[in-house]
Amino acid sequence: MITLTINDKEVSLDRPMSVLEAARQAGIKIPTLCYHEALKPYGGCRLCVVEVERMPKLQTACTLTAADGMVVRTESEMIAKVRRGILEFLLINHPLDCPYCDKAGECELQDLVNKYGATAGRYREEKRKVPESHKDHILTRNMERCIVCTRCVRMCNDVQGASAIAMMGRGGHTRMEPFSSASFNCEYCGNCLSVCPVGAILSRLYIHSFRPWQVDTEVETVCSYCGVGCSMVVQVRDDLIKRVVPRMGLGLNRGLLCSRGRFGYEYIHSQDRLKTPLVRRNGKLEQATWSEALRHVAERLTGIKKADGGSAIAGIASARCTNEENYVFQKFMRMACGSNNIDSLSRAGFAAAQKYLEELLGQGITANMIEGLKNSEVILVAGGDPGTVNPVLGLAIREAFRRGAKVAVVGHARGLERFTSIRLTPPLFREEEFLEELLAGVSRVRGLRGEKLDVDRGIRAISDAYPGISGLEGFDELKHALLDSPSTSIVLGSGLVQHSRGHRAIFAVAGLTYLLEARLYLLAERPNEQGLIDMGCVPEMLPGGRPLNNHDYTRKFEEAWGGPIPEEDGMTLMEIMEGAKEGRVRALYIMGDNPLVNLPGGPLIEEALKALDFLVVQDMFLTETGRMADVVLPAVGWSEKSGTYTNIERRIQLLRKAVGNSSGMEDWKIINDVSGMMGYPMAYEDAESIMDEIARVSPLYRDLTYREIGKGNSLWPYHGEPLRGEIHELPAAVNGTGSYTANFYLAPEKVLFHSGTTSRHSQALMRICPEPVLRIGPAAADTLGVREGDRVKVSTSSGSGEFPLSIDRTISDNRVLLSNNFEGSGVLRLMSYRLDPVTRAPGIEGCEATITRL
Amino acid sequence: MSVVELVKKVLFMEVLQGLALTFRHMVSPSVTRQYPLEKREPFPGSRGLHALVRDAETGKERCVGCGLCAAMCPSQCIHIYTSEGDDHKKIVDRYEIEVLRCVYCALCVEACPYAALTLTDHFEYCGYTRDEFYYTKERLLENWDKYMAGEKGMNYIKNFWRPRSSDFAAPSPERKGP
Ligand code: SF4
Ligand code: SF4
Ligand code: SF4
Ligand code: SF4
Ligand code: SF4
Ligand code: FES
Repeated sequence: MITLTINDKEVSLDRPMSVLEAARQAGIKIPTLCYHEALKPYGGCRLCVVEVERMPKLQTACTLTAADGMVVRTESEMIAKVRRGILEFLLINHPLDCPYCDKAGECELQDLVNKYGATAGRYREEKRKVPESHKDHILTRNMERCIVCTRCVRMCNDVQGASAIAMMGRGGHTRMEPFSSASFNCEYCGNCLSVCPVGAILSRLYIHSFRPWQVDTEVETVCSYCGVGCSMVVQVRDDLIKRVVPRMGLGLNRGLLCSRGRFGYEYIHSQDRLKTPLVRRNGKLEQATWSEALRHVAERLTGIKKADGGSAIAGIASARCTNEENYVFQKFMRMACGSNNIDSLSRAGFAAAQKYLEELLGQGITANMIEGLKNSEVILVAGGDPGTVNPVLGLAIREAFRRGAKVAVVGHARGLERFTSIRLTPPLFREEEFLEELLAGVSRVRGLRGEKLDVDRGIRAISDAYPGISGLEGFDELKHALLDSPSTSIVLGSGLVQHSRGHRAIFAVAGLTYLLEARLYLLAERPNEQGLIDMGCVPEMLPGGRPLNNHDYTRKFEEAWGGPIPEEDGMTLMEIMEGAKEGRVRALYIMGDNPLVNLPGGPLIEEALKALDFLVVQDMFLTETGRMADVVLPAVGWSEKSGTYTNIERRIQLLRKAVGNSSGMEDWKIINDVSGMMGYPMAYEDAESIMDEIARVSPLYRDLTYREIGKGNSLWPYHGEPLRGEIHELPAAVNGTGSYTANFYLAPEKVLFHSGTTSRHSQALMRICPEPVLRIGPAAADTLGVREGDRVKVSTSSGSGEFPLSIDRTISDNRVLLSNNFEGSGVLRLMSYRLDPVTRAPGIEGCEATITRL
Repeated sequence: MSVVELVKKVLFMEVLQGLALTFRHMVSPSVTRQYPLEKREPFPGSRGLHALVRDAETGKERCVGCGLCAAMCPSQCIHIYTSEGDDHKKIVDRYEIEVLRCVYCALCVEACPYAALTLTDHFEYCGYTRDEFYYTKERLLENWDKYMAGEKGMNYIKNFWRPRSSDFAAPSPERKGP
């Protein structure tokens, strides 16, 4: 216990900290400028000086560690004089154009000068002149205003890990500059922007368009771009989102955001938003009124249900929609349409893996706090790049690496390029064998755990089949690191799941998790992939993850929902598509997704959608799929609705409404109305009333209320009862692999700056990353004789496209990567698929491609 | 009742005193002005309709849209919308005052760092609809031309509102304060 006296107040500390932190803890304010709670202390500005007894000179409180018995004074005439002097020095070159500067009103320098500064400056000389730099798409640099606190540089280096900027020059000419000089050309997280105390870094998205005090509403909400679910504050003026800001210390992201979250909000106010419902008349989509469109949907669905039964209707839910919407959607499909054919595009990744893992290891196996990554000693990353799919989770891995943890990356992860201790490059598309090999190696040393007999059996089969050693570089190092590690985390991305042998990789990961008692994280591209499953938007499960084939569970739901739940087994995603093509599925209801672009096997999907008698699409924009629909219903997006999202930690978080000017309707409300017209009234008043019902009917969410969720701590398993694992299928025989000998294989790239339909309508993200680029490794580039920026033609068996080319040093094999986020040029369209027999995810591995220079 | 009082009463003295005052005023010069036929010159510094200062050099508003006037306004009747112009400079897209809600406190004028806004001495304005009293930027600039033409305006500001511009540097290299 350390006890010190600050301003005659006795302060006791339970852990070592600086005098500044001690003072803050005691409620004593010391002015600071270069200190920031997210960064390491720097001691550059000297504004935090304090007097300490028995120390001859003034000390900087931010760098001085509090010691027992210290007597500190934070205000005195001497200190005031020094602070006044420091501020006067800062203003020698500072332009003081506050009326013009966008920071005014929330500027730390302005506030400090107001409080501690002199009323007039004494310097009469010319101030330094540095023209404002507008060369970047997103960030404006005004280096006249920079006070050289280095907060931005420390943020970019020490926290974000992008190392894109540095302090350049000396003396009065010191300034912050990006390494690529003109534009920042960085990860565009904007975290430097949020720590700059003055108006030296500003966002061009809102520059000059409002003053901080003109914001009329501030809404605390969560990001809608990925499964991390970062907390953020949306600032609104006149029903327009002015900007998204994090609040330091708020939420699981502790004030950090990525480019999508921070700069991707513009799609809400996009001109391309659907304004009215559209109904197909004489082969053309025409504008219609809401009542016309809804009645049409209800009549057609009722007709098809009467003629061919409920199983001729299928529904695709969306991980972009809230828990409430997904709950209402599956209830509508099951009760109003009488069909269990309900799935989502999450089946092609997250949901497939999640479900299989839970069957093996029990419900809640992936419910681990992201914070836990920071404390792990060994982190194994496979099947995806956390730095681009879930950037803020990626930051946790980077932090762990800096702290000394071993980060092992299987395959390709660009975002962790400089944060990898062990790089493993198993043969392309045969990562599952590598993981099985690893599992065999680990199980030979560790033995089986004897807790889950089925899993043990599976592991034994694998260790019998593999020697547990491998010639792969880094294998032994990784194996020993894992065996020695006191705390291990495994991060699994969808790259290994979208594989026709994906279940084997998942099983191997599950086995490692089980043997090493590791924490498991599943990367989630969309905000509510977990919630979608939990709400029952999968064919075989009811909300709360209760299996449909168990009458004890179904009875309770049937009572609450007032009718029988259909018994017929539902179809999974790709089966729905195949069913549509064969005519077994006649009507498809899609809520908030775009399968034509986001699913592999483009020609088949197109054929399937064409073969449908009736297609309804609910979306914010007229998507490629929407253009094929019979009815398109405009929905509203993030920040226009309330609801909850369940993130990858399985934390339920509240999404709050901030603006409300669009002409769309909430997805739940549309379905609520259609359902009523189909004779199954739901009559929800708002999203909260839906959550109340969920809490009533699903044992997992017992007693859960918005009030509780709003506090941000609704963590798994809430107050509910998770289920234990139930094994359905162990991986098939361990043998059997593909052979991959083509020159190039096409694979989808996850882009940091995009997520699909919504990001495509965010101008800022489009400015950062305007077009799809084909990424290839340097060796492949040499063989082809192409250079950065060349245009090439990529052809596969399903189609071809032309793209500019970029050489990516982190690709060491013969894969070529292409993003799927741009209109009309998605990579998935070019790929065919093979279903994984266990997870039913479409496997897209081994897509041979030929590349020709144009 | 004393004799004196009785005499006063008989002679209607009090009435006559009152009438004396009336007659005195009948012949004294009149102070009533026949408004609107006869108008008085407003006192210097009197507070009437708003005007946005038109910069003599650029011919444009001098206002940079800092929003301080609107922040200061006790009746919250000033609305300002700005954006980034083509040359990355801040431009004032809309500057609007709901004149009917103004209480003529002139706090907005005092707050302005660039002496870009003033209350003119024009006080008589009337209209048939409320909309006529919703002054846009263009109309406020016209007010300057109409009521504060020539030297008058700047002198008005200098004499009656201490311009704060002396506390600040020019808002940008191109744009000078007064
Ligand atoms: S950075 Fe702060 S002190 Fe400097 S001009 Fe802007 S608001 Fe004023
Ligand atoms: S936006 Fe992020 S990555 Fe770019 S310079 Fe700033 S902190 Fe670094
Ligand atoms: S740009 Fe801002 S954060 Fe960076 S050194 Fe200058 S004042 Fe500090
Ligand atoms: S990490 Fe995910 S949730 Fe967080 S800001 Fe980025 S996209 Fe949004
Ligand atoms: S205070 Fe002056 S410069 Fe600022 S907005 Fe008002 S009129 Fe314009
Ligand atoms: S805050 Fe302590 S030196 Fe800057």
